[in-house]
Order: sequence, then C-alpha cells, then structure tokens
Amino acid sequence: MSPSENLVRRLPNDIGGLAAEPVQRVEHELEPWEKRCHALADVLDFHKIINTEEKRRGVEALGAEMVGKLTYYERWIVAFANILFQKGVLTPGELARKMDEVEARWSASTESE
Amino acid sequence: MSPHDHDHDHAHAEIAPSERPGYYDIMETAVRELLIDKGLFGADEIRRQIEVLDSRTPALGAKVVARAWIDPDFRARLLANGRAACEELGISFYDDTQLIVLENTETVHNLIVCTLCSCYPRPVLGLPPDWYKNKPYRARAVIEPRAVLAEFGTVIPDGVEIRVSDSTAMVRFLVLPRRPDGTDAYDEEQLAALVTRDAMIGVVPASIAAGRS
Repeated sequence: MSPSENLVRRLPNDIGGLAAEPVQRVEHELEPWEKRCHALADVLDFHKIINTEEKRRGVEALGAEMVGKLTYYERWIVAFANILFQKGVLTPGELARKMDEVEARWSASTESE
Repeated sequence: MSPHDHDHDHAHAEIAPSERPGYYDIMETAVRELLIDKGLFGADEIRRQIEVLDSRTPALGAKVVARAWIDPDFRARLLANGRAACEELGISFYDDTQLIVLENTETVHNLIVCTLCSCYPRPVLGLPPDWYKNKPYRARAVIEPRAVLAEFGTVIPDGVEIRVSDSTAMVRFLVLPRRPDGTDAYDEEQLAALVTRDAMIGVVPASIAAGRS
C-alpha cells in the first residue's frame, strides 16, 4: 500500500493493530495546568459544550503532525480552542487577546515580588 | 513508515513555580477564564472537579474487586451492571459512562485498552498511566496481547484465551482479576491491598507478592 493510501485508510488516532515499539512503562504526575485542563474537559462535557467524542475528533482534526508533536494535554487544549471557534463560542482574536493578558499578568506579578 | 510512528511521550520540563508559564498553560488559563466570563460555568466547578479527580485512585477499584471476591451476590450484580454495583459501594460516576466488568477465570484472561485514545474507567481507577495512552500499548494490545503482556512480566498459558476489550467514549471496562491462592484467611481489607491498578487493567495478575504495601 502506498503511503498516501495509508493516510486515507487510517486517521491519526486509528492505530489499533499497527506495529509499534515495546511498551515503555512511563508515568508522570500531572503538572498543575494539565490537571486543570482535565477538569476543564470534564466541565465542558457536563455542560454539553464539548463531549468526549467531539474532543477525540477535535484531536484527530489537528492532523498527524500535531498529533505526533504535541503532548497529550497540549493536544486537548488546542482541540478545545478549535472546537470553540467552530461553535462560535470564542473567536481567535478574543483568545489571542486573553492569552496576552494572562501572560502580562504573570509578568506583572513577578516584577512586583 | 506511517506518518504517525512518532512516539507521543515527550519528557516534560521541570517546572519551578516562578518559571514563565508555557504557551499551552497560558492557553488553558485563557480559554477557562473566557468561558467563565461568558457565564458558561463557574470557577468553582473547575475547582470541584479537580477535587473529584484527586479523590479517584485505584484504591476504589480494589475495594470493588475485594468485595466481589468475598460476596458472590455482589459479584453477580457487578458483572451484570458494573456502574450500579460500584454506586452501591458509594463510588459515584461523575460522567455518562457505563462500566462493564470482565471476570478473569481459569480459561479466560481479560485485557483492556483504548486504541483510539485514552478511554479508561476513571471513576474507579483515577487517571490512566502514560503508557496506556501512548502508541505502543494502544497499537499492539489488540494484535499481539501475549507479547505485550510478556513485557509486563505476565505469561499466560497457551490454553488460556486472552480477550482484549477496546474502550469507547461511552463504555469503559474494568478487569476483575482472579483471587490469589493462599488468601482464604484474608479479610476484605487485606484482599483489597493485593489488587493493583495494573491488575485491573489486566496487564498483571493480582498476587500476594505484587500487592500494594
């Protein structure tokens, strides 16, 4: 099968049955933002804003390269942002401005120490 | 080589409290605050859910397994409806998922996986380990379970059937391991201490040696 046919047959998440490396029994304690991201996912689901299956498809829609290069919760938060744009809940400009504000707040808090 | 052979388990940088928050950390804060500002949910709901997540550990699943080992009626109810039986023990399900409990026997060994992502019985086991979410386990568990089990030091005799159950967004699985031999005199609490997270995923048996100290 050609590499392009592989892309058609299997989306990035669809890896069941493929050959892969031995299992490395890795674990890590979640970083604070990762735990917040998980809680955010649950709350979005409770309120029927983004459900589990929408989240999974949102991660898949990031494409193979991002799925490969971002970590687990990085994929989640980027997928949430994209889904919220698609649903018209947030706009990209709004998020960009808020991210600048959050970063500026952090800078101000460290300067005042 | 397929385009997604790249492994997903990147090392995480050491985070000191004063370190500049990363791009995705900032994005999470920004998304959350915008949604709270719009009145879609309250900040208290996120805090409460973090507490719920922190309260879920494999000790809950171990309690369920130990009860099933000593109480045949409970075991029957657990196998008939996993969620209802867990709720009977006071374990609430904070989501819409159903739970199917898979019983290991002399002739069947069960293993759970989520090939598409990371679905896992979180209400009873907490959050899954990274290896459960990474490519090698997800890709291979369904096609060469005996080889995967061997990497966990688990050798299942050829005469025992291995059943691999692939989780979905709505249906989650929990393995009911076999009660170890030599535990007739154990009480429920002692039995629960023998039941590890990995035994309830199905990658190792419950054993006296492997029990939590």
